[in-house]
Amino acid sequence: MEFKNFSLFINQTKVNRFAEDLANGKITSTVCKHCGTQYYPPRADCSSCMQSEMEWKELPTQGNLLTFTRIHVPPEHFAVRQPLMPFSSVQFEPCPIGIIEVGKGLPIMGWIPKMDIKKIKVGMRMKASPFVLPDGKITIVLEPV
Amino acid sequence: MKKVAIVGIGHGKFGIRSDASLRELIFEAVKACLDDAGLSLKEVDSMVTGVAGDEFSFGIQPSAQVHDYIGFYPKPNFRVEGACATGSVALRTGWMNIVSGLADIVLVVGVEKMTEVPTSVATEIMGRAGDAIWEYPFGTTFPGYYAMIANAHMAAYGTTEEQLAMVAVKNHYYGSLNPYAQMQKEVTLEKAMTSFTVAYPLKLFDCSLITDGAAAVLLASEEKAKALSKKPVWLAGLGCATDAMRLGDRKSMTSLEASREAAKAAYKMAGIGPSDINVATVHDCFTIAEIVAYEDLGFCEKGEGGRLIEAKETYVGGRIPVNVDGGLKSKGHPLGATGVSMAVEISKQLRGEAGPRQVKNAQIGLTHNVGGSGQISLVHIFRRE
Ligand SMILES: CC(C)(COP(=O)(O)OP(=O)(O)OC[C@H]1O[C@@H](n2cnc3c(N)ncnc32)[C@H](O)[C@@H]1OP(=O)(O)O)[C@@H](O)C(=O)NCCC(=O)NCCS
Ligand SMILES: [Zn+2]
Repeated sequence: MEFKNFSLFINQTKVNRFAEDLANGKITSTVCKHCGTQYYPPRADCSSCMQSEMEWKELPTQGNLLTFTRIHVPPEHFAVRQPLMPFSSVQFEPCPIGIIEVGKGLPIMGWIPKMDIKKIKVGMRMKASPFVLPDGKITIVLEPV
Repeated sequence: MKKVAIVGIGHGKFGIRSDASLRELIFEAVKACLDDAGLSLKEVDSMVTGVAGDEFSFGIQPSAQVHDYIGFYPKPNFRVEGACATGSVALRTGWMNIVSGLADIVLVVGVEKMTEVPTSVATEIMGRAGDAIWEYPFGTTFPGYYAMIANAHMAAYGTTEEQLAMVAVKNHYYGSLNPYAQMQKEVTLEKAMTSFTVAYPLKLFDCSLITDGAAAVLLASEEKAKALSKKPVWLAGLGCATDAMRLGDRKSMTSLEASREAAKAAYKMAGIGPSDINVATVHDCFTIAEIVAYEDLGFCEKGEGGRLIEAKETYVGGRIPVNVDGGLKSKGHPLGATGVSMAVEISKQLRGEAGPRQVKNAQIGLTHNVGGSGQISLVHIFRRE
């Protein structure tokens, strides 16, 4: 599993195991062996004690929603570029995104595919899980619990 | 510490400048700046160029386009960058040049040529000013980051979409009075409220513009400033601070910690507090950003920003007039030029040359310029005396 399947552009990093774990159904973080600081997104190096010995640890998946939005003007990479089918219309319905906190200083960003934007509320309890997209890319989704 | 003053200001027309390239935009601002100061480039010791995006300038070292076109070589010039705060980073660097004793007169220019690429490409370039590895895969954009700040602020303090729109109404009103502004037209609350959604809850009129433009200021040491200028504007306090890359890692999602820290440093250096400020330009890249800035700069209590605009306290005649040049919202936001443009506007106000937008007898002014979604922030305080 290439890291780019998650990150889109960047493929060369010391934490590419993250994408593999994601493909295997786990959202993982790293923990510093020296000072115990836990990082999500995972990091290869500890900024608390400047050491680089880390171990991988699965994250809890439930937490409260810190914030959210739904982006209607997408960046070029996500823009709908296919020419429209003649005599047809395509309604662009973007998917909301949000950030949940599964532990102190452990925020997980993800898509919220199954919810009406008006029903999403800051503070609501949600669960994060890995998700394989039809094109083989891998991402994270959030849903209410 | 050595004293430094602004002795010349120059501002080009902001807008969709399909008539001009990056270097030509710079020329307009530099020419106006030198004319204002009554100096020629021969008397300038060095130069700092602010450009935010290589993708916008089509190549690294955009500073070379600038010193080549205005004929400044072989004197020192280099480019500095801090996303949307690039212009203020350039000003700070120019100030450092003089304080360090390396130069007596420094030209600071900021420019961005953003409309050569389509909106979707500009949106992608700016969206990657967040975390390109861990946020961008979720389709994040600049409006998206500030929309997340808005939703958090609304949930925590009851800030409303109407209050956001009121910032747009104010800034468009002042933009209509600023001949350099991109959109010189007023907008009603109703029109702002019913414009299309860009990133929920932010609508078209909650967003700043995509703009081409340039601005320039000439800085001088105390000795030179006194000899050269009848109306020097003194740099009395400077603050610069940084914060975590990702929104989720921040101490707060309803304020920008970097702005709070930068403001604290600038107030301390100037030996004043928020209530001493007569006029301010703040980074209203989105309407919510102006409301958060009121709070971060101490113009009101945390959570009271929405009510401050609702009470019209940030209009001329109110408690603290903010963005009476139209702000990024209506004047436009050419990333690298914005911080320099803010310094130009505050200089005009302190020189009493702001025309119909003049704040009566303004003595102390402040600029607040944020890069990215708050990864860097710079606050500068200017005084007439
Ligand atoms: C909001 C945004 C996506 C609109 O761009 P767009 O869809 O390409 O808009 P267009 O250029 O097609 O303009 C459509 C109309 O809306 C107007 N318009 C464009 N942007 C506007 C804005 N921000 N506010 C008010 N009106 C705007 C145009 O003048 C035009 O009006 P007209 O039809 O009367 O001529 C774009 O302005 C944007 O991305 N702004 C944010 C910029 C940003 O993120 N900056 C960095 C912040 S630090
Ligand atoms: Zn450690």
